Amino acid sequence: MEPLKVVVSGPVGAGKSTLIRTLSETEVVDTDALTSEDIGKETTTVAMDYGTLHLGDQLLYLFGTPGQDRFDFMWDVLSEGALGLLMLVRGDRPEDFVPARRLLDYITSRQPVPFVLGVTRQDQPPVWGPEEVAPFFGLPLEQVVGLNAKDPRSAVGPLVRLLELIAAEEKAG
Amino acid sequence: MSLDDLLPFVSSRDGALELFNLKRLPRVTLYFRKGKLTCVHLGNKPVDALQARSVIGELIEARKGSFEFIPNSRPKLCPEVLGWSVDRLLISVSTTYDEYAQVADRLPHPDTVFKLTHIAVPDDTRLSDFWKRAHPYLQVGASARDLAGRLGMPVDHARFYLLKLQQLGAVAAHRAHRARPAGRRAGVAARLLGSLKRRFFGEGNAWSH
Repeated sequence: MEPLKVVVSGPVGAGKSTLIRTLSETEVVDTDALTSEDIGKETTTVAMDYGTLHLGDQLLYLFGTPGQDRFDFMWDVLSEGALGLLMLVRGDRPEDFVPARRLLDYITSRQPVPFVLGVTRQDQPPVWGPEEVAPFFGLPLEQVVGLNAKDPRSAVGPLVRLLELIAAEEKAG
Repeated sequence: MSLDDLLPFVSSRDGALELFNLKRLPRVTLYFRKGKLTCVHLGNKPVDALQARSVIGELIEARKGSFEFIPNSRPKLCPEVLGWSVDRLLISVSTTYDEYAQVADRLPHPDTVFKLTHIAVPDDTRLSDFWKRAHPYLQVGASARDLAGRLGMPVDHARFYLLKLQQLGAVAAHRAHRARPAGRRAGVAARLLGSLKRRFFGEGNAWSH
């Protein structure tokens, strides 16, 4: 059976690498490098993160995109043919909503990929919740999920919602 | 002398101001009559109102170049007479550039595809000029890079106009999935969902997360 891929994207520091590490059953391959500019952390993903998840006999690849604009060519490479896209944004950093929307608009306007928006850091209040973030992105609430990327049962929430949405589409034909 | 100083000075006379040795533009000719800018030529071709605004903006940004004023010169070809007051034009272009500087880090990616959401012409003349030229392309979906090529303007100017139209709700990013959902084998997602829930929530919770 051909593996499927899910792409995890979002601005720098949104929690993409953390989410993939939390969900992956194999050790995550990352391509972190020391940051060359002040982005609020010492290292960042420059090509992709890669993890795997076996669901029954189906292998799922989890690919994390780099967050910085100068690696935008990777966004298309990774998103093409994906089962779905998980776009993450930090709920405690509203200034990241604009770059997250910009990134979401870019990918989803070019690739026919279903998506869910994950609002991270829900365990660290004060934090914006899904119902507050959804209107900014112009999305229905069902497409926005709050999560803590370090907790497996919470981190899996956006992937569950993504599959629910795709399953509903499949059912509707 | 900056263009902001030069234009009011020469615009009171009828004639043509030729600007050359510009870094990013070929020769530009601005024609004035009765104190108004009537026509703009880029190279030897007249440009429309939208391109004229972009050209004036680029001239002001250029800061460096040469000029010559030819009294009483008139354009051989001018399909769209602009009739712009120079003072108002300079204020309008300066305002646009100030706004642009404020939103530079929020501009959409040059390749994000946008589509029209409704067909109301914006009130702001800067936007309505763009809208009139761009809306046939935006009806089917176009990016700033597409529009810049088709309308003959810098990509960043097209990104700025798209951001302003997006803020007004006149355009929105296209969602490619809604237009042509990726083909999948039926039941794949439902099957994966069951496995995923079993893995993370246990056997009893496979269908009730």
